[in-house]
Amino acid sequence: MANDREVLREIWDGKLPICFQLAQEEIMEIQQPDPFYVMVPRLSYFPLVTDKMKRHFLRYISQENADNEMWLDYNGQPLKWHYPIGFLYDLFCGNDPQLPWTLTVHFTKFPETILLRCPNKDVVEAHYMSTVKEADVLKHRGQVMSTMQKKDHNQLWLGLQNDKFDQFWAINRRLMESHGDNEGFKHIPMRIYSDDGITCQRLICPKNNDGSRKTVHQLLSELYPDKAEVNLRTHGVLIPLDTPLQWLSEHMSYPDNFLHICLC
Amino acid sequence: MSSNSLLFSINNEGKVYALSTSGSCWREFMYLGLEFKTLSAVPHFLWAVGGDRQIYLHVHGLEIPIRVKEESYENERWLPLEGFSGRLLPTDRYHFSSQDGTKDRSIECIRLPSMAWQWEGDWQLELALDGQPLDHDGWTYAVDFPAQFGTVKQWKSCVRRRKWIRYRKFSAMNSWCAIAPLHKDPTQEPFIDITIGGNQIPYASPGTLSVWSITAQGRVMYRVGVSTTSPEGLKWINVSIPPNCDIKQISVGPTGLVWALLWSGRAIVRKGINKDCLTGEAWLEVKSPTETKLTTVSVGFNAVWAVSSDSRVWFRKGIEGNAVGHSETAAIGNGWLEINGNMIHISVGINDQVFAIGESNKGVYWRSGITPAELTGKRWRMVQANMQLSRTSSSASIISSASNPKHHSLSLLNENTIELKTNINLRNSWEESHSAPIENTLPLKPSKELRPKKNVNVENIDLTGKSYETTLKNPRAWSPVRSVGSVVGMEAQPDSDSSVFDVDSGMYFDEEVSQMAWGTCDATWTFIEAGACSIDTIQVPHWFSDSKNAHNSDITAKWRSQILDCLKSRNSFNIDLSNFGLAIEEKGWTRSCEARLVSDNNICEDSILSLYWHAVENAGTLSVFQPDGTIKFILNLGEITSITSSSEPGCPRITLTIPNQSQRIIKVQFISEMEQEEWFSVLIDISSQINGLSGKPSTNSIWIVTSYGDVLNWDPTPAQCNMDKNGKYVKEFQVFGKDIVTGFTTTLHNNFLPGSVLKLSGCLFDEINRFHINLQGPEVLKQRHKIETEVTEIPLHFNVRFDESTVVCNTKKSGCWDYEERHPLPLRPGQEFSIKIICDYNEFIININDSKFCSYKHRLSPESITSALIWGPVKLYTMEYYSTSAIIGPDEMIWRTMGGYLRKVESCQNGVVWGICHDHRVWVYTGGWGGGILKGIGGSDGIHPMTDTQTYCIYENQRWNPLSGYTSTGLPTDRYMWSDVTGKHKRTREHTKLLSRHWHWISEWMVDYNTPGGVDNEGWQYATDFPAPYHGKKVFTDCVRRRRWYRKAQIVTEGPWIRAGSTALLDISLWANDKTVSVWAITLAGEAIYRTGVTATTPVGLHWEHVNSPHTFVSISICNSVIWAVGRKGELYYREGVSTENPGGINWKLIESPKCAFTFNPKAATGTKLVSLTNSAAWVVLMNGVIAVRTDVSIHQLEGKQWKYLTDCELPFKHVSCMDQEVWAVQNDGTLHRRVGVTAHNAVGIAWQLVHCGPLVHVSARGCNA
Repeated sequence: MANDREVLREIWDGKLPICFQLAQEEIMEIQQPDPFYVMVPRLSYFPLVTDKMKRHFLRYISQENADNEMWLDYNGQPLKWHYPIGFLYDLFCGNDPQLPWTLTVHFTKFPETILLRCPNKDVVEAHYMSTVKEADVLKHRGQVMSTMQKKDHNQLWLGLQNDKFDQFWAINRRLMESHGDNEGFKHIPMRIYSDDGITCQRLICPKNNDGSRKTVHQLLSELYPDKAEVNLRTHGVLIPLDTPLQWLSEHMSYPDNFLHICLC
Repeated sequence: MSSNSLLFSINNEGKVYALSTSGSCWREFMYLGLEFKTLSAVPHFLWAVGGDRQIYLHVHGLEIPIRVKEESYENERWLPLEGFSGRLLPTDRYHFSSQDGTKDRSIECIRLPSMAWQWEGDWQLELALDGQPLDHDGWTYAVDFPAQFGTVKQWKSCVRRRKWIRYRKFSAMNSWCAIAPLHKDPTQEPFIDITIGGNQIPYASPGTLSVWSITAQGRVMYRVGVSTTSPEGLKWINVSIPPNCDIKQISVGPTGLVWALLWSGRAIVRKGINKDCLTGEAWLEVKSPTETKLTTVSVGFNAVWAVSSDSRVWFRKGIEGNAVGHSETAAIGNGWLEINGNMIHISVGINDQVFAIGESNKGVYWRSGITPAELTGKRWRMVQANMQLSRTSSSASIISSASNPKHHSLSLLNENTIELKTNINLRNSWEESHSAPIENTLPLKPSKELRPKKNVNVENIDLTGKSYETTLKNPRAWSPVRSVGSVVGMEAQPDSDSSVFDVDSGMYFDEEVSQMAWGTCDATWTFIEAGACSIDTIQVPHWFSDSKNAHNSDITAKWRSQILDCLKSRNSFNIDLSNFGLAIEEKGWTRSCEARLVSDNNICEDSILSLYWHAVENAGTLSVFQPDGTIKFILNLGEITSITSSSEPGCPRITLTIPNQSQRIIKVQFISEMEQEEWFSVLIDISSQINGLSGKPSTNSIWIVTSYGDVLNWDPTPAQCNMDKNGKYVKEFQVFGKDIVTGFTTTLHNNFLPGSVLKLSGCLFDEINRFHINLQGPEVLKQRHKIETEVTEIPLHFNVRFDESTVVCNTKKSGCWDYEERHPLPLRPGQEFSIKIICDYNEFIININDSKFCSYKHRLSPESITSALIWGPVKLYTMEYYSTSAIIGPDEMIWRTMGGYLRKVESCQNGVVWGICHDHRVWVYTGGWGGGILKGIGGSDGIHPMTDTQTYCIYENQRWNPLSGYTSTGLPTDRYMWSDVTGKHKRTREHTKLLSRHWHWISEWMVDYNTPGGVDNEGWQYATDFPAPYHGKKVFTDCVRRRRWYRKAQIVTEGPWIRAGSTALLDISLWANDKTVSVWAITLAGEAIYRTGVTATTPVGLHWEHVNSPHTFVSISICNSVIWAVGRKGELYYREGVSTENPGGINWKLIESPKCAFTFNPKAATGTKLVSLTNSAAWVVLMNGVIAVRTDVSIHQLEGKQWKYLTDCELPFKHVSCMDQEVWAVQNDGTLHRRVGVTAHNAVGIAWQLVHCGPLVHVSARGCNA
């Protein structure tokens, strides 16, 4: 059970100051547009928080590009909208924090090979829900999601979209419960990203063979037996090595129910 | 279901331990030099076979003593010469007899049954008959013996009798009490096994218990007369067994079913055990599982479990607890089922939960997953509770002998822990069921705290021990032969022993852990007894290391605090954030659903509800549309004053109260229960946010309970803040646009005491003859040619007459106008004006257009003004009402649903609040808010699980006809053959539905053999015709009969309440004096008790103290050391001699009964039903619904001065609660009223003001303070 409300709340309230700048080649006006400053929830996705920013910059770009899909980059690397914002920041700036996080806004030259298309928010919702389902399959063989009603799914999504902690956790709580007699999930939904761009997703059991709770340290020694100094970062925090995986999954998963962790 | 129950066990040294379901440590019974072989328990009663092979009884956990009232009637006959004398005619009854005269009850012959009992006081006379006081000798008179006895001696009174009563008390609580051996020489026929059960024998009278034992000669003995009021029973009788049967073990289940095992490993079952024949009829043999011998058997309600000599576990299929009395197959079942796991001993507890002792490690296991549907459960889970270091255990003796006890004991314990772990890591065939090793840390405490000596309970020892002259000083030298029922070990440390049974220890358990040394000693158990253990399968006790412990340690773990610290430091950016906008803007949200509006006459109208809420603006609306989308109405959510559930079976409903709307009440029926609950929770959440209500309400709140069990609270504090700077409270009435021409009346909620002001401004019409302002009293009913209401008291009538060019001031007294005072006309038609009426101590001062116009001396007390009427062709702009105290009308009282499910709530002036639920268990308010379907509303602080049980009753009616006898065909005019108690409503067993999904049945439909009036063998009651008195014995003239069926249902919910004690209560009353709170209560048996140690910080208090009384009570009230109680027959008593030194007082004194000529129903009895005391008066509700007030009740005049009756209201009341000048009452129709005009001079007040439409069952205004 995810019952450590203090931690949950703290994670939910995590925000990032972001400075959006329009890419120089997009500017069609003589006057330089002001950068757009905004506080963004770490747990959200870019398409959910950029409406206002987009309207702000539309005046400055060529009208033929106005209907093009907008995309963002940081230091020349396109940002994948389907990852939570906080995770993207940890991935790119985890080791040397840079605040506000300055991102460049593009309306042309969509990097088709790197980014998925995102014509509207429904796509984000579809992607989000499918990720939650995937996580539930790993945790409970998909039993929780399949017993939920459509409006529960809706509440989950609206909770995230409108930044409503209680609304979100009223439903998400059920996804974070352990089922049956065994305390803990079947597997931990977890993705580990190394800075070389490789994603690692394995079937990870929350328990050791002797029934004790598996810790981060034990996991790391399984996954990277040859690396000596490995650290994991998520939500801008380095995870202590003796943290149990089960607890980590219950409390520090992103709203899509996955642990997105950066290796550093 | 008790919140705290005990699991008992014996270790390999014969020491008895107990583990509380609310605790997490095994506590050892005080060792008295006696080991124990076997145990058997039901809640509060533990029977055991000692190492000396004798039987011992241990009664524990009862908060009030077991008391038995002995009665004897002294009969006398009048003889011509001697007058009344004890010499009776030979045909008469005994001089001292039972009530019906059939038994000799000589006072000298009534002895204590055993040494475990002691008398409470001496024989005394009962000095009241049905609430009528008798003279000091207590005689009642009659013509002859089997006749009606009256209070008055008449010329024809030939016989008289009086009643002697004396109480005896079972004083051997919390200690082992020896049961007499079978023979003079106890060694002649020792016992080898004992078992107790039978506490749920179908239809048996409450309190029945059955005890069976086996002697060393193989005889089966049954103990006659054991019950909860006679724990030791009377004597042993032999139950014959089939030849060639050598019995070694026996077990009796809660239904009375008995299974026994033979030395040969076979099992026999006693058939035909039911409420009429507790010993059964005959033995039946049951086939053992093939190729094995059974060694232990344990009987549950619907289950029998056994263990065989090869440590295999067996479950007997097909046992049906409700039918064991008359069905052989239900008693013996239909086959063995092997359950995995290897056990050496097994015990079935309450709700068929199973505990066993493992073969390999001798640990205690619980079978998890046992439900009524799945009696075999899922898997074994090991109970891993800490051990109290044994005082006498040989393994711990090193502690006392060592020079540094702490150090040594620690090392010893550490060793043991390691051992235990290795034990667990050993895998065997059913390894899965093992739990993870415990990671508990041993609390390190200075050795002096190792065994705290409490001196608090020293008095207790004296109390219980003083009458036991024969109790031996040295318990070791004690022998059961010397004294039957003597108490073992009174001299030892009962204080430390009784802590095993500390009822409320659960609440503050953690402190105890830190005070005592606990360790994870390697425990080797040999015997387990779960008969008293009630496990909540949803919230299992903290006995299993894999659930709660793990989480607890997470909270304090270092990694968690690291993560939390890092998370917290993330948001401290060292950049200027002022120009950063928010990415997600706060928006209002909407929620809608299809629902039905239910009108007063239960007609439903389809509609669509839509709720809009904006958190930042703190505003919201509820719109109701017709199905075609047209708006019906829109409500501002701030107007809603209460939200209550009003579901009926199958119809989930919510009732909203909106006093400012013409409808006042909106009832909505939802499509599903889930939807109803969601809306309920959301509406309460929003309504509380709008009104700024959260958390614990202030101490002077009013608490009410609806008939649906919701607990609501109105907190006057927020409304009291609208004070202006002159110390006056002001209320503006919405008058603009109101029609004044035909008269506009508005209630002045605080009356019009000196200091009050009424300010009006407006404009006169051009065409105007007269207009007037009345400051008037309440409307009263007048019966002339038809019933109408009229205002009879108008202290100020201010009439401006343009046609007469004058202003008339007058007063109407009792419907008649007084003499007029006339003044010149100050106004012209069409003129704008302002009028200010100021009430002074002697007169009204009337200012017109800001200059003094006139004054008017009071002719009637201005206190009696309850409303203002403005009548005439004027237009009003503003109307303001100033008062010296906060003005809170019923439309401003926001009732907040607090959570929980209760029947009664009683508060007091320092915020301690107690509640009683329908099954009479007692709860204390924790200060939280929410729980249950209000999940997440006020956080989880203080929210605990709650249950309540209600009994559904229906009546089966039959009529006799000459051909077929009694059948279910009645006359066409008869009531329904299946009906409720009135016969007016059809009720059937099949169609009785539960209220919501939180309720579930906990029994089947059963015939009630305890229906008042008595029943025959099949539960029938007979009468001559339907609405007639029923009796249990059929007579010649009886044409109809009925019987009552009942079924019990339980609700499982949560709320901000915690159990207080295990004593069931009828009524409770609280009164706060600074920090301490006096709590008096009436138990289910009608005894008065009071609670010690209740303060604002420890609302639960310590324990109940019993108050001796020869009467049985139903209601009680306390105020300022004045205590009044209502007897069962409607009589009133006050308690004499109550003081801080003697909180229990000295004795009860009868108070003159109220005699009210004004009754709603002249036939109804006029006794008192309940009482509520204030500092100066006692308000009582009579059985006919009239409210009477006893004036001048004070510490100096405990019984008050005189009765006054409230006759201004036509409707009967069912409840009243008062404190200081606040009087609140609930009418029979469930509406809540507040009495206005109650002052020091006018104790009965002036009028009732409707506050809430209910339906309510209870109100407590006891927190109010002036």
